[in-house]
Amino acid sequence: MTEAPESPGEFVDVPGVRGEVAFRLLVEAVEDYAIFLLAPDGRILTWNLGAQRIKGYTADEIIGQHFSRFYTPEEQEAGRPATLLGWAAEYGRYEDEGWRVRKDGTRFWADVILTALRDESGEPYAFAKITRDLTERRAAEERERALLVEREARSAAEEALRTRDRFLSIASHELKTPAASLSLTVASLQRASTSGRLDADRLSSSLARLATATDRLGILVDELLDVSRLTAGRMEFRSEPIDLATLARDVIDRFAAADDADRIRLVGTEPAWVEGDASRLDQVVTNLLDNAVKYSDHDAPVELELGDADGGVTLVVRDRGFGLDEEASARLFDAFGRGLNAEHIPGLGLGLFISHQIVERHGGRIAARARPDGRGSEFTLWLPAARPA
Amino acid sequence: MTAPGRILVVEDDESLREALLEVLGDEGHEVRVAEHGADALETLDGWEPEVLVLDLMMPVMDAFEFREHQRRRAAALGARVLVLSAARDLGGAAERLDADAYLAKPFRLDEMLTTVERLLDDHRAEGAAGR
Repeated sequence: MTEAPESPGEFVDVPGVRGEVAFRLLVEAVEDYAIFLLAPDGRILTWNLGAQRIKGYTADEIIGQHFSRFYTPEEQEAGRPATLLGWAAEYGRYEDEGWRVRKDGTRFWADVILTALRDESGEPYAFAKITRDLTERRAAEERERALLVEREARSAAEEALRTRDRFLSIASHELKTPAASLSLTVASLQRASTSGRLDADRLSSSLARLATATDRLGILVDELLDVSRLTAGRMEFRSEPIDLATLARDVIDRFAAADDADRIRLVGTEPAWVEGDASRLDQVVTNLLDNAVKYSDHDAPVELELGDADGGVTLVVRDRGFGLDEEASARLFDAFGRGLNAEHIPGLGLGLFISHQIVERHGGRIAARARPDGRGSEFTLWLPAARPA
Repeated sequence: MTAPGRILVVEDDESLREALLEVLGDEGHEVRVAEHGADALETLDGWEPEVLVLDLMMPVMDAFEFREHQRRRAAALGARVLVLSAARDLGGAAERLDADAYLAKPFRLDEMLTTVERLLDDHRAEGAAGR
């Protein structure tokens, strides 16, 4: 085995040659790290057990050879070994991670530290090279990463399944209640009719109930169809100039007919021209107003305010209702994302999801937040402005 | 034929509640209705039904909370309980409620009436035997 060149300093505290010998023996015996010296030109001067184990060469085979043979052909071509020596000479120490090549041609992932050993004039008389084989660790890290990716994919899939299950469960629950009312009322009408108890009062109250249940079923089916069309990208939109103020007033009129007239008012700048599908935007405004009315007390005021911002038209719907917490606001526009405080409000919880989708197809945005004073919520609809009709 | 009984219907859906009131009334029963659990507790104040017809999910107070309050107040403890719901694990829910029978919505009218009569009979038989 070739001796390391005389060093100007001491390797260890033990004074004299014995200490250096002991230290050299220690280094030679280390198996987990390849520790060896390079001459300034890159030729290998010493070798240890770790180097033999990791790289596959015996000391006899490798001492005197150039260390560039540990690099991949691509890196050799790019002049990487010389560059690294240059950097180590310049900065004193250089650490690098990358693929290295064993004697048998196989590759391993290495962590390499190159340290320049300088003489009194400051010139490197050798480089100490310490190499660790991180292949196992890297493989373990990659396995872990792959596992993590897989686990995330699985939990996303499970979440999608849970959402679908929740959808089916809510949808079937919501459909079955009016169905129960329908079947019970029809059966009761049949009984009354056969037993001769069917008078005009009974007939009209039964018919009213049938109408209510049928409407309810119709609305639910429409919602389900909208969601299915929207998620499949099959909903078609007309494109025509619309005055959002007129549209909002029409919607309010419908609510006024249902006794909510006094509590709703419209303020702000008119007209407010946008472009899109009037019936779909009517659906959005109706949904926002319906929520404002549904999620607040019977006489609590609801305000609609028209305005402009960012080259578009805004419609803000403010209520004094149950309000929103931050978490609920974030999930509100998801399918079935309604707030926890809304669990017992009938309906599929799909209204805002549908509205959000419709508004996005119009190039617009919709956002919700709790009102700054903490009482009630505020929904802001923004649509790109358009030229008047 | 079972003699008419006292029945409390607790159901949040208005049209179903009215339909139940009508069909049970047609059988001659004395029927009162409540929109939710809290409403039902008030009805139990000073009136003891023999059968409770309960929806599961209701605003303000659901069936589970209602049953807790009902037991704590010792109101209509002898009443038989029929659960009507569209919930998925209806059997499990009925068991947790300590209900005597359950029917999934939508249910058949005659099936519902027969069940109510059976519960009335049970209630009376047990009452006669000394509960």
